[in-house]
Amino acid sequence: MPPRRQYRETRYAYATVLPVVLIVALFTLYPFAFALLTSLREVVLYRPWSQPFVGLKNYLDVVRSEFFVASWQHTLTFVAWAVPLATLLGFAVAHLLNARTPLAPLLNVVILLPWAIPTVISGIIWAWIFNSSYGAFNGALYSLGLIDSYLPWLSRPRSALACVLFAHIWKEVPLTSILYLAALQAIPEELYDAARVDGAGALAALRRITVPLVLPTTLIVLVYETMVGIVTFDLLYVMTGGGPAGATSLISYYLYNSMFVAFNFGQGAALAVLLALALVALIALYLRLLRSEEIYAT
Amino acid sequence: MGSRRIAVLAFLLTVILTGSAAFGAAPVQLTFTVWSYSTDVILDNIKKFEAANPGIKVALQDFAWEKYVDVMTARFVGKTPTDLAYSSDHWLQQWAAANWIVPLEDYFPQVNAYKPDFAPYAIEGMTYKGKLYGLPYYADTIIFIYNEEMLKRAGFSAPPATWDDVTKMALAMKEKKIVEYPIMFQFQDITPWYIEVFLSMVYSYKDYRMFDTNLNPIYDREGSAAHKVAQWLVDGMRKHKIINPASLETTEIPLVKAMGAGQVAFAVLPKYNLADLNTPGAHAQAGKFKFALMPGESHGTVGFVRFYAMTKMAADRGPAVREAAWKFLEYFGGRTGNEFVVVKRWALDKGLGFAQLPLYKDPQIRAAINKWGNVTLEEQQAKLARAKEALTPFWGSWSLEFQKEMNKALLGQKSALEALKASAAKWREMKK
Repeated sequence: MPPRRQYRETRYAYATVLPVVLIVALFTLYPFAFALLTSLREVVLYRPWSQPFVGLKNYLDVVRSEFFVASWQHTLTFVAWAVPLATLLGFAVAHLLNARTPLAPLLNVVILLPWAIPTVISGIIWAWIFNSSYGAFNGALYSLGLIDSYLPWLSRPRSALACVLFAHIWKEVPLTSILYLAALQAIPEELYDAARVDGAGALAALRRITVPLVLPTTLIVLVYETMVGIVTFDLLYVMTGGGPAGATSLISYYLYNSMFVAFNFGQGAALAVLLALALVALIALYLRLLRSEEIYAT
Repeated sequence: MGSRRIAVLAFLLTVILTGSAAFGAAPVQLTFTVWSYSTDVILDNIKKFEAANPGIKVALQDFAWEKYVDVMTARFVGKTPTDLAYSSDHWLQQWAAANWIVPLEDYFPQVNAYKPDFAPYAIEGMTYKGKLYGLPYYADTIIFIYNEEMLKRAGFSAPPATWDDVTKMALAMKEKKIVEYPIMFQFQDITPWYIEVFLSMVYSYKDYRMFDTNLNPIYDREGSAAHKVAQWLVDGMRKHKIINPASLETTEIPLVKAMGAGQVAFAVLPKYNLADLNTPGAHAQAGKFKFALMPGESHGTVGFVRFYAMTKMAADRGPAVREAAWKFLEYFGGRTGNEFVVVKRWALDKGLGFAQLPLYKDPQIRAAINKWGNVTLEEQQAKLARAKEALTPFWGSWSLEFQKEMNKALLGQKSALEALKASAAKWREMKK
């Protein structure tokens, strides 16, 4: 291709992409830059007349806070359970959906329902289910004779976190299973036929064919579920209000409190920046651990 | 010029003139934000107000009570047009300090004439830096509600007068298997009522003060009223097992429903819930609920006020809007034809309390209250009510810290005193 024509085409490509890039920048880069600037100032809403530059003070205040450590502990516990469970269950459900049965198309739709329900609504539903006085969960356990009296699931730190975790996984598994289903359906059947001819069992086929070939999907699922797990807020807000005694206050809740309860937008912005950096670090770690190209090459 | 052209010009001129005339007479538009409670009544009140004031149109926007402060913060920060808003004593300091709402007396000096009509705790709750910021939508007290039938079945003929009485009666109920957990509170970490209920119990003691005159916390001292209340709560939940452990996940409506269903014998709640509990057909136990003066040494309690406020945005829109806003404020929170029309309606239709003391003399009001409550006792409790102390701009965020720490004590993670000390340390940190 002549250089001039190539130059024209390059210019055309940039020109067509530019509007979209500008719009994305407007709604992502600008808010991030604004948050970054806010995090370096003392911005307390009920002191609008004074917003001095304070450098990294907001970051130091946030990191030194007792709540910062506690909320990160809760967040990491939550993520450590939520990500593997949502991934493994999604993979398992996808396997079931991948079975060629007449019900498969219907099941594919039904399985997505929990994901389609708005989080706040599903939070309210689960709060009712786990309610200590009239919850269906207690009712079921009681009628099965497994408990003598109704238990306060949402009033105990560990069980409250477990209830929120359960509701979170219930909502997330449909998405991960659909992602895995798409990946499974893209694997050529001939590979399994060849494996069977070579005498490979189901487990060997899973280990040598399925798992490596769904690795790119696994990476997407891990990154997405980690992000969703870390920034989970609406479910907590509706189900437990971060309680009891702050036991389900994740880092997102701390951010919310800083901004909308304490009206300290400077500290809130510092937390948001730290949260963004933590997410970037985790995603980079996943990308490093799961470089699918290298795995394909071996 | 042809006659046709003249006719066209005349027509255009007519259109322009009538259009501009209509434009000149355009009604003043006011945006009014509320938390969702009996929105049908609010809309009806607005309709009547608009009929009485043809030059004013009011657009209502309502939001859930639990989310109201978040929504309003976002509206104020984002400068979403808002002229009039429900506000509350516990947000006043923040909203006023942020210049989101304005002192009424700076714009409407005539508002001061209403002060003698209002209960002192309500005036205090609407006052910031010596200036009145609102007219009351409703004002009420936190009261002690009990199920009279359960109390009689446990062998008691009179309600508890002290917190020790409450323990004794609750233990008797538990022993007789009348109810497993006779007492329940709304102690979810973030429910706004938590701190108000706790303070009501504290104010029932003679030496009730939580803070000194310089706003330093004194409630974290051993033997303080707050310490006594905190210890009573911890013992009730962990030692005597008379307080339902599910209190830690409970908010107002579930508590009222549990009480109405006969699962709770004693509760500390805002008074208007008594009207709901005794509404025939509303609850299984309807009609069996009574209230007693807050148990304790002085029977004091918290009096709170929710009020109509005018925003800075409205004040900046000019004299026409300000005039319309005052008409609205006076219609809803003040007198119309020498009567507190809207406040009286809330009291009669919904059992809401009021800060407008002359209403206690109204025979209709007295009869209405006596249907579900006890107007004499209500008046007595109102006189013993106090506004919350130390309502600083950081009071809201401190209250959440307090609630979280207190719940640690209720879960046995800390002692009652340790929890109080931790929240007092937070207060000192915020006060710097």
